[in-house]
Amino acid sequence: MISLDRASLRYGPILGLSPTTFELPDGGGITGLLGPNGAGKSSLLQLLSGLLPPSGGEVRVFGEAPFRNATVLARLGLVPEGDRLPMGLRADRWLRMMGELSGLLGEALKSAVARALATVGMADRAHLTFARMSKGMRQRIRLAQALLHEPELLILDEPFNGLDPEARLTLIALLRDFAAKGTRILVSSHILGEIAQLTDRILLLFRGRLLAEGTVTEIRQLLDRHPVELRLTGAAQVLARWAVEQPELAALRMEEGAVVISVRSPRDILPRLQKAAAEGGIPLSALDPLDLNLDAVFQYLTKDHA
Amino acid sequence: MNAAPSPLATLRAMALGYAPRILQGRGWVLAALAIAPVGITLLVFTIMRLKGMEVDPSEPIKVFHEVIVKMMLPIMALVAAPAGIREDLEQRTLPLLLVRPAAVWAYPLGKGLPWVLWGAAWLLLSVLGLQLVGGDPSMLWDRLLAVVGAWWGELALLTLVGLVFKRGTLWGALYFFVWEPFVRIFPPFLQRLTFTHHIESLAGSRAAQVQANQLLAQEQAITHPALALLALFAFGALCWALAGWKLQRTPVGLAGSEAEG
Repeated sequence: MISLDRASLRYGPILGLSPTTFELPDGGGITGLLGPNGAGKSSLLQLLSGLLPPSGGEVRVFGEAPFRNATVLARLGLVPEGDRLPMGLRADRWLRMMGELSGLLGEALKSAVARALATVGMADRAHLTFARMSKGMRQRIRLAQALLHEPELLILDEPFNGLDPEARLTLIALLRDFAAKGTRILVSSHILGEIAQLTDRILLLFRGRLLAEGTVTEIRQLLDRHPVELRLTGAAQVLARWAVEQPELAALRMEEGAVVISVRSPRDILPRLQKAAAEGGIPLSALDPLDLNLDAVFQYLTKDHA
Repeated sequence: MNAAPSPLATLRAMALGYAPRILQGRGWVLAALAIAPVGITLLVFTIMRLKGMEVDPSEPIKVFHEVIVKMMLPIMALVAAPAGIREDLEQRTLPLLLVRPAAVWAYPLGKGLPWVLWGAAWLLLSVLGLQLVGGDPSMLWDRLLAVVGAWWGELALLTLVGLVFKRGTLWGALYFFVWEPFVRIFPPFLQRLTFTHHIESLAGSRAAQVQANQLLAQEQAITHPALALLALFAFGALCWALAGWKLQRTPVGLAGSEAEG
């Protein structure tokens, strides 16, 4: 369905995506594109959705180059990042126009708009202009426009940004439903937890490079190899004595009233830490992760690859 | 899979989809710009007549050439053009249109059509309103065709300039308010590169005779009215086509920037 052969993208002198090669097979399923901000996720999605042609290499979607290719574009839907819609227009009329631009006419158009609005739960509020809608409502309409023509490939760029927890759960359920019905979904995020809730397959991007691809478990194992710093506040001597007995410990330093430990596989050590604190085995008053952000993890992975 | 819409279907969808925009603030500003000179002229003439003062019958023609053609038409184009496809580029809503299997080259004209029709309707009203006050009735059709042709051409030019240059409105303003006024001192070849020349060829204006106080003035070049009208519409069509070609060829990403392809 999708294949990249050393495809790269430059924005003038800036490299948006290094030569990247990968393939996604036909059929339904969700693939997560994970990476910190500036990793090249949007660049990759723009290549796949035909917005930008590659600066080098080759991009094929449904066997053809997607840039300004109506045959390819008729089979894919894009939900771009950001809250950008023509504010002065009514959602239902705008969706009608988008449907017509996707080749829908007459009754087919009418039912496609009604179906898309019902799917995203906006059927009763579609008469509002975008300016009068909340951010969450606009996000639903952005999803609806991508669903109008029932695409075989649905591309979503950071779709969870700005959504409240309920809207997130609804979106996750919707995407799973589409995937189960045979739609191939490519969704980008910089938050592993979001992607992990959705997908069985992850592509890991960093600084314009495809670092790794695999299942959520494989990526988690990869990430777990990165030592994470935790600050344990309490009686530092006792906490340090407990920490040195843990097999995951990579480094330790003392601070006033706290000990900072560097551990591998934090998901293994944290339950033991919690249990020991709950049973009174260690005098722990606070626990602060110091570098649990994805950027730190990716920095580590890049060094690892080098 | 649905078939890609035809260029005509694309034009229709864009024109109908964006038509409500003309009934919002910018659309009414456009209407006011077209109607204000006529409204003021009508008011002044009515007051003068009520007071029994003599009214100059050539005044409406001066209003047509000096106010509507030279000032209001360009300002209307400068107001309307940024609401065309340039608006989607600036507001970053263009990618949503570009990932459709439609004819991308038809987008600028499709989005511009409601503005063309809306502006033309008000300009026609404006010219008809002036006729109530005076002016040669035998030239009425010529004046109507001249403003509609010029409006079509000027809006198309500014749409194209808005896609080619980052500061399209500025370049457009320079063209209309710096280049066009030079028509009086241009040699015939350069006169033909102005809207003013074609409008005057159609609707008549300055005398062909140069007066003694116009030291730098050149003789007015003459173009057949039918050719002048054809030139206005053909130039507009060319600009719409070039704007479509530019959009079709230019990679526009989610950030609105052009990538090196």
